[in-house]
Amino acid sequence: MKQQNLRRIISLGMLLVLVALFSALSKYFLNPNNLLEIIRDAAVPGIIGVGVTYVIITAGIDLSTGAEMALVAMVMANIYRYTLIPIPIMILVGILVGLLCGLFNGIIVAKLHLPEFIGTLATMGIFRAITYIIAIKENGTITSQPMKAYSYAILGKGFGRIYFVTIAFIVISVIGQIVLKNTRFGTNLYSVGANPKAAELSGINIARTRIIAYVIVGFCAALGAIFTTARLQSTTALLGDGFEFNPIAASVIGGVSLAGGYGDILGTFIGAIFMAALENGVLKLQMNTAYQYVIKGCIIIAVVIFDAWFNSVMEKRAQEAAAGGKEE
Amino acid sequence: MKKLTLNQLSKPIILVAFFLILTILRPSSFLSASNLGNVLWSVSVYGIMVSGTIFVFLLGGIDLSIGSLCGLTAVTCVMTIRHFNYSTTGVLLGILLTLGVGLLAGLVHGVIITTFKVPAFLVTFATQIIFLGLSMIFTNNKILSCQNPPAFTMIGKNPVPIILMIIAAAISWFVLRKTATGRYVYAVGGNPQAAAISGISVTKITIMAYMISGFTTAIGGIVLASMTQQCMASTGSGYEQFVIMAGVIGGISLLGGEGTVPGAIFGAVIIGLLQNGLNLMSVPSTQHGLVRGIVIIAAVGFDALQRDPAFQGWLAKRKQARAKNA
Repeated sequence: MKQQNLRRIISLGMLLVLVALFSALSKYFLNPNNLLEIIRDAAVPGIIGVGVTYVIITAGIDLSTGAEMALVAMVMANIYRYTLIPIPIMILVGILVGLLCGLFNGIIVAKLHLPEFIGTLATMGIFRAITYIIAIKENGTITSQPMKAYSYAILGKGFGRIYFVTIAFIVISVIGQIVLKNTRFGTNLYSVGANPKAAELSGINIARTRIIAYVIVGFCAALGAIFTTARLQSTTALLGDGFEFNPIAASVIGGVSLAGGYGDILGTFIGAIFMAALENGVLKLQMNTAYQYVIKGCIIIAVVIFDAWFNSVMEKRAQEAAAGGKEE
Repeated sequence: MKKLTLNQLSKPIILVAFFLILTILRPSSFLSASNLGNVLWSVSVYGIMVSGTIFVFLLGGIDLSIGSLCGLTAVTCVMTIRHFNYSTTGVLLGILLTLGVGLLAGLVHGVIITTFKVPAFLVTFATQIIFLGLSMIFTNNKILSCQNPPAFTMIGKNPVPIILMIIAAAISWFVLRKTATGRYVYAVGGNPQAAAISGISVTKITIMAYMISGFTTAIGGIVLASMTQQCMASTGSGYEQFVIMAGVIGGISLLGGEGTVPGAIFGAVIIGLLQNGLNLMSVPSTQHGLVRGIVIIAAVGFDALQRDPAFQGWLAKRKQARAKNA
């Protein structure tokens, strides 16, 4: 557990360094409104990051979250436009679509034994294509569908600058952390990721655990889609394009190991805020978006390299400690 | 032995089936000379790239940056030629510089992956974004056209790309089949620990594989730029998916150690035909992902199923039952 605490202090430290750097470079960065905005921008990747963290802990990956968001949003847009179904039921249907997307991913990965990476790359294409097929069209061309109903758009607002999405982000992260640390399901996730053979021998249903993890991602992606479209008050077939990268990056920066069996939601929470701060800061410096891509990519590589180094150092230390213990 | 013959037969059968289906559905447009030329064009770019990327796949690695590296190399080539006022020297320098960029990108991937022992997936995911950003910075988000000189435009004219593909595939096949390096690649992909113990430098082989992948991607970028006589930041975007699909359909296991160059080229042909077929049926490109996704799941799922011990057990049981009945 000591390693985990140290890793957490390091990711918090990285966040502080980033904030200090941007505060020094731009006078628009460090003010309460902007900081609240950063947390709001972190919320959607952070919410999806809860599910993605579960999947990564089982040594999996999910590349389809952006496409899942788009599909959920487009199904809701169709209901909104063509039916009189009330908003709460529309939202429930959206969540159901997310759950089904996650179930589909889970079955492909856990039952058909496709490598997670390839399987979810394929479903990314499938979900996106279905989104285009059911996209709202006017005179044959795809248009964005406004969703301005008051009872829906309210979800994109909040109490002043404390947005509902921020509250959801915090609540879901707390629940996610509790489930991960204090339930049998959470323990199963770790054992499946750390050593699937041992997990199977000790009677854990690996396939079921993995499928549930993907279903949770689907649920989180549906929530992300609902909050995003409520804030934009519209949706397009392009919603969430390239977005799958953000929750994964948040997890990795927060110390979740892609090899599985390691990490938690608190780390992902910090990671999501780190990514949002990075994006916000680069914007505040009025840099071209192209530079954002380069900087983001470089920071990801730096963090990944640092993590690999940190883990090897920690492992060595643990081995030395074990050896020392034996000598005594 | 029996399984092998079935596998060998399945590829020509699939190919013929594809041809027949497309011929029946679109007799006049599919079999026209210009359309078949188009198919060969796109096939040759995928084929060139997969001939190099197969080295990475065989090691159990992955290169997600292929698509945006293809764009970056295309941009490098076109910008150099424009800088030298469309002269033939410019073309020569441009090609050399571009190949250098490809090799350098591969070197960076290889060194980061081997030195720090980090997942290839993450590194190439990050460099994918970096390369895209660099292309955007260099092109300033504009389309750069380059319709001169003939030395450049001829690279993309039939049959040069196909010849290039055949050369790339032949070299790659030769290296993998007939040289010690090739055997090392299979050995490292099959079991890195055993390979390391038997004295193979896993680091060297891995770095080499990523450099080869970068090199062929650069050739692909040059060919693509020459074919379209222009380049932009999004040139080649999504090509990583086509190349990975070509490999997977051609029987390459993404877990490493398994796959052949002819298989990969077969995969490239299938992908080319699939793309062409979808275009001829006027399926909008936004919906191609559906077909692609289903093909990937079917191909990889079938491959994974064959490896599944439970499925093998079921097959053996069925065989036994049949023997009993007979």
